[in-house]
Amino acid sequence: MKKTICSLVLASVMGMSAVAASAETLTVGVRGGPESMDPHYSALGPQADAVKHIFDPLVWTGDDLQLEPGLATSWKAVDADTWEFKLREGVKFHDGSTFDAEDVKFSIDRIPKVTGPTTTEIYVRRVKQVEIVDPYTIHIHTDGTAATLPYDFVRLFIVSSDAAKDYSTAETSAEGFNSGKATIGTGPFKYVSWEPKGSLVMERFDDYWRGAAHWEKVVRREISDDSSRLAALKAGDVDVINYVSSADYLSLGTDPKIKTFLGDSVYVMNLQLDQREVTPKVRAKDGSKLDKNPLRDARVREAIDIAIDRQTMVEVVLEGLGKPANQMMPAGFFGSSEKIPTPEYNVDKAKALLKEAGYPDGFQIDLHCTNDRLPGDGAICEGLGQMFAQIGIDTNVNAISKTVYFPTQARKEYSVFMNGWGTLTGEASYTLGSLAHSPNKEVKMGAFNRIGYKNDEVDKLMQAGVQEADADKRRALFEQAMEKTMADRAYISIVVLQSVWAGRSDKVVVTPRADEETLAYFIKPAK
Amino acid sequence: MSGFIIQRLLQAILVMAVMSVIVFAGIYSIGNPLEILLPPEATQDVRERTIARFGLDRPVVEQYFYYIRNLLQGDLGRSYIYNEPVLHLISGRLPATIELVLVSVLGALFVGVPLGMLAGYRPDALSSRIIMAVSILGFSVPTFWVGLILILTFAVQLGWLPSGGRGDTAELFGTAWSFLTLNGWSHLALPAINLALFKLAIMIRLARAGTREVMLGDTVKFARAAGLSEWTIMSRHVLKLISIPIVTVFGLELGSTLAFAVVTETIFSWPGVGKLIIDSIKNLDRPVMMAYLMLTAGLFVTINLVVDLVYAILDPRLRKGGAA
Amino acid sequence: MKDPAIKPLPGGAPKAVSPWRDLWWRFCEDRVALFAFGVVVLLVLMALFAPLISPQNPYDLSGLSLRDARRPPGFVGSGGYTHILGTDAQGRDLLSAILYGLRVSLQIGITAGAVALVIGTSIGIAAAYARGFVEAILMRIVDLQLSFPPILLALVLVALLGQGQAQLVTALVAAQYAYFARTAFGAASAERSKDYVEAAAATPLSARRIVFRHILPNAMPALIVVATVQIAYAIALEATLSFLGLGLPVTEPSLGMLISNGVKYMMSGRTWISVYPGIMLIILIVAINMVGDHLRDILNPRLDK
Repeated sequence: MKKTICSLVLASVMGMSAVAASAETLTVGVRGGPESMDPHYSALGPQADAVKHIFDPLVWTGDDLQLEPGLATSWKAVDADTWEFKLREGVKFHDGSTFDAEDVKFSIDRIPKVTGPTTTEIYVRRVKQVEIVDPYTIHIHTDGTAATLPYDFVRLFIVSSDAAKDYSTAETSAEGFNSGKATIGTGPFKYVSWEPKGSLVMERFDDYWRGAAHWEKVVRREISDDSSRLAALKAGDVDVINYVSSADYLSLGTDPKIKTFLGDSVYVMNLQLDQREVTPKVRAKDGSKLDKNPLRDARVREAIDIAIDRQTMVEVVLEGLGKPANQMMPAGFFGSSEKIPTPEYNVDKAKALLKEAGYPDGFQIDLHCTNDRLPGDGAICEGLGQMFAQIGIDTNVNAISKTVYFPTQARKEYSVFMNGWGTLTGEASYTLGSLAHSPNKEVKMGAFNRIGYKNDEVDKLMQAGVQEADADKRRALFEQAMEKTMADRAYISIVVLQSVWAGRSDKVVVTPRADEETLAYFIKPAK
Repeated sequence: MSGFIIQRLLQAILVMAVMSVIVFAGIYSIGNPLEILLPPEATQDVRERTIARFGLDRPVVEQYFYYIRNLLQGDLGRSYIYNEPVLHLISGRLPATIELVLVSVLGALFVGVPLGMLAGYRPDALSSRIIMAVSILGFSVPTFWVGLILILTFAVQLGWLPSGGRGDTAELFGTAWSFLTLNGWSHLALPAINLALFKLAIMIRLARAGTREVMLGDTVKFARAAGLSEWTIMSRHVLKLISIPIVTVFGLELGSTLAFAVVTETIFSWPGVGKLIIDSIKNLDRPVMMAYLMLTAGLFVTINLVVDLVYAILDPRLRKGGAA
Repeated sequence: MKDPAIKPLPGGAPKAVSPWRDLWWRFCEDRVALFAFGVVVLLVLMALFAPLISPQNPYDLSGLSLRDARRPPGFVGSGGYTHILGTDAQGRDLLSAILYGLRVSLQIGITAGAVALVIGTSIGIAAAYARGFVEAILMRIVDLQLSFPPILLALVLVALLGQGQAQLVTALVAAQYAYFARTAFGAASAERSKDYVEAAAATPLSARRIVFRHILPNAMPALIVVATVQIAYAIALEATLSFLGLGLPVTEPSLGMLISNGVKYMMSGRTWISVYPGIMLIILIVAINMVGDHLRDILNPRLDK
C-alpha cells in the first residue's frame, strides 16, 4: 500500500514537472478534431486543419485563400485537358526518404480506395490519369477542360508511397495511419499520438522544407463546447482556441491576459426561396392554400430582401462578428462582384411591394434553418422571423439540427430556408456552380440548387466560365453570373460570418486564415 | 430446470431480435447519413458511387440482413466518421466512462449512506432536515446546470481545478486510468461530483428510509435493552440491515449512471462513451448508434437473464410459474 | 429515477370512509410540505394565467425587437416598460419568457405524466387481473424497460422521432410508463389475491366493476406518489434533452430551453439570461418533489406511529 502511494505521488510530481519544463509546447483547444489520421479519409474542414500539420497539400493556399506554391512550385495548362505541375526538389518525409512524383501519383490513385462518406474524391473528380514525366514533373490528364483544377488540389495531401503502401485499402488505412506506421508526411510536425475525439500530439520535424517550427511539441485538444473551450483558455489549460463564440467576443476585450484575432470567414448565410410552381410551406394567413407560389413573384422576393435589417443582424445577433452580405461570397473572392449594391432596409417599401404583388395582408411561411452548424445560425433565423413579421409575413421559425435539416432539404420539403455556405476554394464555380446553376447531371452542376432556380443566362455564363482557361475572362464571366443571380433574389445573402481566435497574450500571435484553419506552424510566439 | 433455462434464453434472443429490428428501422427512418456527410462539391456520380460503396442504395430489408449477417459473425461494422471498427472505438473510450461512473457512485455511497443514516436516526432534528433538503436539491437540480456552475466557480473564477478533459493517465492492466495520478484526480473531481450529486440524493433517501424502519423494529429495541451503545447499534446492526436494498439499488444505479454520464461527459469534455454517442446521433453515424444500442440492450437482457436464473435456482416455485 | 417509489406500497388501502380527506389532513400536519404544495399551486396558477400577468407575449414575433436583446434586469425597452429580469438574446422580456416557459414545461411534464399514468396503470392492472401468460408477457416487457435508463431511451426516441412537442411527450411517456405499470401491478395484485376479489372474478360480468371499484382505488395513493415524482422528472428530463440539443424547437422555449439558450452568455457575465429560468426550474422541481416526498411518507403504513 505504502509503495503504491509513493509511486502515485512520484508519478504525479513527474507529470507536473513535465508540464513545467516544456515551455515550448503549444496547446491548442479546437472545436472539432480530425476523423482519421489518414488525410484521404475525409474532406471535412477540421480534418484538413489537423492533418495539414503532418502532411502538405500539393498546392498551398495563403491566408486569403490565394494559391501559392507548396509541394508543387508551379503549374500551367499545357493543353485543353492537361495540366503540368512542377514539384519541389529536396523535400524530405519524416522518415528521411525523399518526396517525388511517385508520391503524388500514389496519393491521387489512393483516394477512391480509402475515402469515407465525406468523400475526398471531390479533390480528384476531374482527374482522368496521372502521368509521371520525370521525378519532379507530372502531367494530370483531366476529364474535359478543368480550368479550376489547381483549386481542387489545395487539400490534396501527399502521403509517402513507401510508408502507406500496405495501408491503402478501406480496411487497413485506419490501422496503418492511426497507429503512426503510415503517418509519414512532409509537414512541419511528426505524428506522436491521437485518438478519436481526444488529443492530437505532434513533435517538431527539424528537416521541414520551410524551416523548422518554433514549437517543439504541439497538442491539439478537442473541446467541442464553446464555453468549455474558453474556460480552458482562461484557466490556462490551453494557449490558443479557435471559434470564440460571438457571445464571448466583446467581453474578452477587457481581459489583458487574452488577446483576440478576428478574421473573415468563407461562410455566408443565404436565405433560399423556393421557385417551384407549387411550394409546400407557404400558405395564406388563415392556413388555406394560395392559388400560386408567391415566392415566384419578383416583388415579393424584393420585399423579403429589404425587410431584412442586416445591420441589426450583425450588431445585435452576431454581436459584431460579421458583415452585411450582398452576395453569396465574401468580397475579394474570385468571382465576387463589386457592382452589386447592398439592399437597403426599408419596411414601408417592403409592405408596399407586397401590396402591389397582391398580398396586402401578407401570408404565412415556415422558415427552416440549422441551429447547430455555424455560429449564430439559429439566432439569425429567429431574427429573420421577427423582421418578416414586421411586414406582415407570419413566420413559423424552425431552427433545427443539421441532422434533420439537410436530409429534409435534400428531399425539397422546404419553401423558405437558410443555411450557411462556405466558398472553401475561394472561387465562384464552387458556389455558383452548386447553387445557382440549374440542376444538370451532364455538366455536373446545380447539385445543391434545391429551390428549382433556373436562369438560362446564369447557366450559360457558368458553363462558359468553367471551360475558360484565361483567368481574367473567367473572372468576368463569374462576376456576371453572380450579378444576375443576386438580382433575381431567389438567393438572398444576409451576412458574412467572421471567425475569432483567442490566445494567451504573453505567448502567441495568431494570423487569421479565411479557411479558418489553426496551423501551429504559423502561430508565432509573442514578442 | 433445463426447460426453463431454454425458455428464458429463447425469450432473451427474441427480445434482442425485436430490438435490432426496431432500432434499425428507427435509425433508417431518420434519413440518409450521406446527406449530411457528403461534401457540397460532390458531383452526382461521386455521390452515387459513395452511396453504393456504403450499401445505402439497397432496400432497407437487404441492408438489415446484411447487418445481421455481419453481426452474427461478430462484426459490428466500422464508424462512418472515424473509419475504425466500432467495437474498437467503443472499447477504447469505455474505461474513461467506467472510471468516472465508479468514482461517482462509490463517492455517493460513502457519503450518502452515513448522512442518510443520520437523517433516519433523528428524523426531526435540524441536521436531518438540512440533509433531506440537500437530498431533494440533489434530486431536483438538473445535472447540466450543476456542471456549468461547477466549471464557472472552480475552473474559471477560482482557477483551482481544470475545466475539462482527462488529464494525465497512468497504465494499469494495459489501460490508461486517471485515478492513478494527482493530475488525473484534479480532472476527475468536478465531473465526478457533478455525476455523483443525483446518486448521493438517492443513497441518502434509501439509507434514511431503511434506518427509520429498522429503528422502529425489534432488533434495535433488543440491542438497546442489552445495553449496547448507540454507535455500536448503528454501525453494526442497522448498517447491516439496511445494506441489502442499498446494494441492490447500487447495482441498478451503476447501469443508469453509465447512461447519465452522457450529460456530464458533454459538459466536461470527458472522453467517454457518452460523448461519442451524442455525436454519433448528431452525425447519423449509423454503425456506432446501432452497436451502442445493441450492446446496451444486450447488457440489460443478460443482466435480466442472470437474475431470472439465479431466482429460479433459489426459488423453485418460480420455475413452475414461469412455465405457465 | 429509480427510488423507493417504484416499490409497490403494500397494503396502503385507506379505510373506506373518505380516504382522501384523511390523506389531506395528514398531509397538512407538515408545514414545510404544505408550503411546498402552496408553491406548486402558485406556479401552476402563474403558468395558467401567464398571458394575463406577463408584460409581453414572447411568442408574438412582431412584438419583439432585436434592439432590446440581452439587456440586464431593470432595462426599459422599446415597449416602454421595465424588464424586471432583463431580456434574452432575441429581445424577449425574460419574466414573460419564464412565465410562458413555465407553462410549456408544466404542460409537457403533466401531459407526459398523465399519459404515462393511464397507459402504465392499464398495463399493470391488466397484468394483475389477467395473470398467467398475459401477466408474464406484460411484466417482462415492463421489467426489461425499467432496467433501461430513461434518459437513454428518451434520447434515442427523440433522435428517431424528430423534434417537436408531440414527439418529445411520446419519448417521455415511453421512458416513464413502466414505473406506473410496476406500481399499479404491485398494488393491484395484492388486492387481486384477496378473497372477495377472487370470488367476484369468478363471475365474468363484473370485471369492470371490480377493477374500478376495488382494484384501482386501492392502487391510487401509490400511483399519485409516483406521478408527482415522474412529473418532476419529466420536466427535468425535458430540460436536459434541450440542453443536449435534442429538445423542442427554440421559438417557444420551455424553461430548459431558456436555460440552455442562455448558457453561452454565462462566460461573458450576462448570467441573468440563464440564471433566472434556472432558479424557476429548480423551485418548480424541488416543490413538486417535496410534495411527493411527504405523500410517500404519510402513505407508508410502516412508519405510522
